[in-house]
Amino acid sequence: MGLSLLASRALRLSRIPSRATQIFLRPIVSTRDLNTPEPATSAAPPPPPPPHRHPVGGARVHFPTPDDAIEVFVDGFAVKIPKGFTVLQACEVAGVDIPRFCYHDRLSIAGNCRMCLVEVEKSPKPVASCAMPALPGMKIKTDTPIAKKAREGVMEFLLMNHPLDCPICDQGGECDLQDQSMAFGSDRGRFTEMKRSVVDKNLGPLVKTVMTRCIQCTRCVRFASEIAGVQDLGMLGRGSGEEIGTYVEKLMTSELSGNVIDICPVGALTSKPFAFKARNWELKGTETIDVTDAVGSNIRIDSRGPEVMRVLPRLNEDINEEWISDKTRFFYDGLKRQRLNDPMIRGPDGRFKTVSWRDALAIVAEVVNQVKPEEIVGVAGKLSDAESMIVLKDFLNKMGSNNIWCEGNGPNPNADLRSGYIMNTSISGLEQADAFLLVGTQPRVEAAMVNARIRKTVRATHAKVGYIGPPTDFNYDHQNLGTSPQTLVEIAEGRHPFSATLANAKNPVIILGAGIFERMDKDAIFTVVNAIAKKHNVVRPDWNGLNTLLINAAQAAALDLGLVPESDRSIESAKFIYLMGADDVSLEKLPNDAFVVYQGHHGDRSVYRANVILPASAFTEKEGTYANTEGCAQTTLPAVPIVGDARDDWKIIRALSEVAGIQLPYDSLGGIRSRIRTVAPNLLEIDERVPATFSNSLRPESSQKIKPEPFGVTVENFYMTDAITRASKIMAQCSALLKK
Amino acid sequence: MAQVAQVLKQFRVQPNSTSLEEARKRTFEFFKLACRSIPSIMEIYTLEDVVHPSQLRASVLAEIRKNAHITNPKVIDLLLFKAMEELKNVVDHSKQRHHIIGQYVVGRQGLEDLAPTDPGTSDYLKKFYNSNYF
Ligand code: SF4
Ligand code: FES
Repeated sequence: MGLSLLASRALRLSRIPSRATQIFLRPIVSTRDLNTPEPATSAAPPPPPPPHRHPVGGARVHFPTPDDAIEVFVDGFAVKIPKGFTVLQACEVAGVDIPRFCYHDRLSIAGNCRMCLVEVEKSPKPVASCAMPALPGMKIKTDTPIAKKAREGVMEFLLMNHPLDCPICDQGGECDLQDQSMAFGSDRGRFTEMKRSVVDKNLGPLVKTVMTRCIQCTRCVRFASEIAGVQDLGMLGRGSGEEIGTYVEKLMTSELSGNVIDICPVGALTSKPFAFKARNWELKGTETIDVTDAVGSNIRIDSRGPEVMRVLPRLNEDINEEWISDKTRFFYDGLKRQRLNDPMIRGPDGRFKTVSWRDALAIVAEVVNQVKPEEIVGVAGKLSDAESMIVLKDFLNKMGSNNIWCEGNGPNPNADLRSGYIMNTSISGLEQADAFLLVGTQPRVEAAMVNARIRKTVRATHAKVGYIGPPTDFNYDHQNLGTSPQTLVEIAEGRHPFSATLANAKNPVIILGAGIFERMDKDAIFTVVNAIAKKHNVVRPDWNGLNTLLINAAQAAALDLGLVPESDRSIESAKFIYLMGADDVSLEKLPNDAFVVYQGHHGDRSVYRANVILPASAFTEKEGTYANTEGCAQTTLPAVPIVGDARDDWKIIRALSEVAGIQLPYDSLGGIRSRIRTVAPNLLEIDERVPATFSNSLRPESSQKIKPEPFGVTVENFYMTDAITRASKIMAQCSALLKK
Repeated sequence: MAQVAQVLKQFRVQPNSTSLEEARKRTFEFFKLACRSIPSIMEIYTLEDVVHPSQLRASVLAEIRKNAHITNPKVIDLLLFKAMEELKNVVDHSKQRHHIIGQYVVGRQGLEDLAPTDPGTSDYLKKFYNSNYF
């Protein structure tokens, strides 16, 4: 009501003055009532008590020490906040959303955009609420003419040098500047000079820059130096010559660089692959999870029709906060290339022939019924969901074979003790740690989001990080303690200086890389690590700091479901091998006469050896459960329809079982989930992390000898780790340009 | 063949049949004309590998027999006129291959289910062969 009243009054009054006076007395503010702002104190009648409001976004306030609560008044409404909150945070608790550009909850406070000005009683000027600590009894006014005028003025200054190119800007429709100028800005500007323009910077294949649009909020600079840990971006020049850029002509080399697209409040930093592809209001969002690494970052897939247009992060404080890695954000163009869309059989001439599902399944069923049970082998790929893995396992078991495993879990993996393969501390729990020992793992490439957590902890508490493994990049302070398991023995025996660090730490954390699973002496390594853990109290009733960092989305669920091969030589004697999206399994030792069935969504490595191809759906097209490295089960949801004549993984195996004459007892996802309940009930606790029940110290000591070979690099190329990312053109560009 | 085309080209609307007998004679003439044009139809529409001439003959015959119960010479004349028109269209290649196949080759017994029906398969498998979404 207020607005329309103001507008109509402004309209009525504007007719009265003559033309001449209008020209000379052009008001400073277009909104009439704001022309003579008076401090709110002079408003005589006390306003009625405002209705109770809820904090912005339904947030809850946590009081670390209840005595430190202070009371402030926001628009006359009293709120209790912990000491140390800023005025802006106090307003949020009171349910008032303050407009802002430079302030971001996860970055340091810069206070340079001035959009968040509010009026505080007894202060002569409006104050920047994001930078002002709230004091007891403060009376904050967010809705007064002074505050409104201040915002309108700031908006006008910001728009002065901002190009009016919203129609061709990719941020249009989800732009903070656009929204806030609609809400708080004036309806006209008084700027008649030339707008300034700024040269665009080349930040690499992922981030497109249109630097003229930049409003110098420095969010991107703070993100790069604080969260991503690279000093690539900075502010150059002063005054109207101020520019954001890399100091020298240089690409932004961070695995988190895509996040600057999200935090940039305007369209200065946008996604290069998404540029001019779609407007954001045409897109349909599907809330799902990422499977390109074992973190299971929460993402939103924006699709238009059958096409995935972009991937954005979703907030999940326990896993990825609000960031995602570049691989997660930009691999999606791989979903359009190299797809398998029809069942195919390799003819005698070595070429694939398209056949119907009926024929393809009939052939597979015939072959599988001819070979001996112990010659049947199944391998689940790194992108498999729990449902299809249990169906594959049941199918092979019914055929009489137990040779089934999941890529990356290595020979005879330990599936008995859940604490032995998940991240027991949990990803958010890492923030309480004060000493890290990383063994044979390069978290920056294996799990970028976990690395971001470690960096956050190191920055906040100066936790010590010790690393054992080949030289690698870190974006925080660390000590390289050695390269081989021998160093572990030294730490266990207390001969190494780092044992003192561990001993002094309150909450020490040990993280083992999943690359160790492939080593022959892994049991010995686990024994030594257990000894270290025992010695330095890493595992206590209130703290479990002994972790494994997995690298593939399917790994944890596969071990939960007990996908453990009977013998580790089964490939050499296999006559029938069923690859469910497994592309990284080495088929060199496979006998030449073996029959290879490849079920998957991409024509990747294993297809070269396949005899039959059964097209399956990718994770964007199906519903499936995945357990991440901390053991938290989450599900994907179909965002786009399947490609061609493909089918969901579990449906194919279920159909095959029937054609082969050993029908499996379920034919719906619900049925499979009840089957999972009997094997691994934790996989049904969706979005709920179920900690391991038994500690890893129960593990029997191994009599194996430690081998002196140094730890290897597990993930060679961060950008290309699986079938989808290997098919992606953007990921190929990234590996060419950004991999050092 | 050229003969047939010639006859068709010179076809004029004839005066009405005076009796049922005459209409009957005209019907036979039409049938013979159609039969004579079948080889050229087979060639124009390359039907060798989908149908045998005798099948086409049978289907023309069946079309005629469908109206066997009609005794009014006027109605028969009209039907003959329409038949002649259709034949002319066919011979002039005014139609396309799928029209012929649809109307005279498979049209008779309708599209038969080419997929083998395996009675033993479950509901699940039938749906699976059909589509991914069920
Ligand atoms: S580029 Fe974007 S995030 Fe960076 S300073 Fe400019 S407006 Fe802010
Ligand atoms: S948000 Fe407070 S000054 Fe920018």
